[in-house]
Amino acid sequence: MDSMVRNPDVKQRDAAQAVVVAVSSDAIFDPEVEQVHGATEPLRKGDAFSFMKAIQVVNERLLTLNSDETLLFDVILLSNDSEEKHSRIIASAKHYGLDIGRFCFCNKEDSIESLQSNEVKLFLSMDTNDVCKALQKGVPAALLYHQTDPNHQTEDQLKVVFSGDVIGSSEEMLHGLREQGFTETQLQGFKTAKGSVKEFAILMGEMRRRFGLEGSPLCTGLMTVWSSRDVCASALKTLRGWGLLVDEAFCLAGAPRSPILNLGFIGNTMKSSTYVKEGRDYSMYYGLEV
Amino acid sequence: MAESKTTDPAATEAGEEKDWTATKAFFDSLKTNKPRPPKPQYAVTIAVSSRSLFNMVAEGKIYKEDGVEKYVAYQQEHDNEPLMPGVAFPLVKALMNVNTRLRRLYPDSDELFDIVLMTNNHAQVGVRLINSINHYDLTIERFCMTGGESPIGYLKAYMTNLYLSKDGEQVIEAIEEGIAAATTFASRDVENQLSDTQLKVAFDGDAVLFSESEIIVKQHGLDTFFEHEKEFENKPLAQGPLKCFLEALGMLQRKFYAKNERMTCPIRTYLVTSRSAASSGVRVLKTLRSWGLEIDEALFLAGAPKGPLLQKIQPHIFFDDQMFHIEGAKEPGTIAAHVPNGIGQKYHKGIFIEQPAKDTT
Repeated sequence: MDSMVRNPDVKQRDAAQAVVVAVSSDAIFDPEVEQVHGATEPLRKGDAFSFMKAIQVVNERLLTLNSDETLLFDVILLSNDSEEKHSRIIASAKHYGLDIGRFCFCNKEDSIESLQSNEVKLFLSMDTNDVCKALQKGVPAALLYHQTDPNHQTEDQLKVVFSGDVIGSSEEMLHGLREQGFTETQLQGFKTAKGSVKEFAILMGEMRRRFGLEGSPLCTGLMTVWSSRDVCASALKTLRGWGLLVDEAFCLAGAPRSPILNLGFIGNTMKSSTYVKEGRDYSMYYGLEV
Repeated sequence: MAESKTTDPAATEAGEEKDWTATKAFFDSLKTNKPRPPKPQYAVTIAVSSRSLFNMVAEGKIYKEDGVEKYVAYQQEHDNEPLMPGVAFPLVKALMNVNTRLRRLYPDSDELFDIVLMTNNHAQVGVRLINSINHYDLTIERFCMTGGESPIGYLKAYMTNLYLSKDGEQVIEAIEEGIAAATTFASRDVENQLSDTQLKVAFDGDAVLFSESEIIVKQHGLDTFFEHEKEFENKPLAQGPLKCFLEALGMLQRKFYAKNERMTCPIRTYLVTSRSAASSGVRVLKTLRSWGLEIDEALFLAGAPKGPLLQKIQPHIFFDDQMFHIEGAKEPGTIAAHVPNGIGQKYHKGIFIEQPAKDTT
């Protein structure tokens, strides 16, 4: 059971045409450690605040190009907070002028159902467990990264980075990994992730095409963390086939990813599964990097 | 502000280790015997730009005359056409050869050259770049295509030991950030007899390996310079921007010496300086010694032109801070790269000059 509240300050999008993105309230507003009863002042900005502002810039630019544009970001704030906090959340959104179309208040157990019923194209949270659970139920989800470099916080450009390891994976590659001890479940997980990323990638491709190569408020990228350059090339071509021509590409081949992400990317990775083979612990990262 | 898990340094490090483990697993699983790339913190990272690795003169023309959209479209249309080798290509092949020798002697070591493609080219051009890398079977597994933005931040993040680019401004930016860098130029189409068994790197001394003394020459003239160098003979010179790169080469050389391969060491370094052995040269040698660095051949020209000597050496790359010497080296076909540091670039023969023209090919 959820309670959907429309935001009266924001023009409602056509959800069927828009890119519906659900963002966890704890990412947008700082989840306070101590609940102060009866507090009314606006909540403090959370780690995903600049991300929200960047989404707003993209929407504004899209509408500037075409005032009848329907391919816009439609943000739902997902909150598991207690009822007494609801009005404070709504008031805080108004205070900061956030482009949030709807507020969805529900219990933690009902979150997934709410996401599914609202046909969310992507669910974003800073909680790994929430993201894991959503993915397992087939809801495209990703972990929001906290930009740590204060010199590179971008509020005027939204950077969306996709995982090349997943998108560039091929039957041959999966076969090789099978020989390394990955189970069928894990390999199937790869294929599922590739499928769930596709729809969002197609939408991003379409949105990206509204802007020129230079000066775009939406910047798309591809990052391969542990695969070889051929997997990265394969991912580039796959994305091209889906209509997404990414602006930036990074092939790390095991080099640390945080320097790239801290340099102004909002990156998400989903730790999909951990398994153990002969005492060695492998973690496969796949999923959407947004 | 709530501390998010992703900013916890211990968690980041643990995550990095897992990424590294996953990388090793991936490369181990490959059917081809492609060696896995070295762990960055132990490797000698050489970042090359796409225009120094490959010849993109024709494409550059399209970019200049028709704009970025037409340029990217053109590259996409020619995805499967390998690009021709560029100025840094022979150097990259030589680095790969050293790696092969190192892997044979030290199969588990990550102390290798790590060649990274660092370009502000658009990622869609990337397909053609990767296809070209495949065509020549180059061991370049890491790349950053920044889609127009400056790659400087990434250079720093990956502790780059040397950055080569055709873009002089980016090279200056890199040097200012403390990264050894040099600007490559289109070389003359000359038959080179570059060694394919030994990497040869030649350095100018002042303003490349060493710093400070060139200021005296330019501002006060040669005589003052000689007096000064004699007086300060025993005081080590300050470090120049490429000193650390020489140090990295020395570290790899010693790995061969340790296995009794000094005579067949696949790395050889040269100092090609205008100083004269008799007067100002001593300070240079003493400085190198104080740094614990060796240079295989030190050539003191006492002001004579560098071109003919370099033609004999045939280095895979020669670093100098003065365009005058770069031109002199290029003439007989030496691959020369300009290090924009210090006062040398602003003066020539005591007269203030304009900055070197940007090579936008």
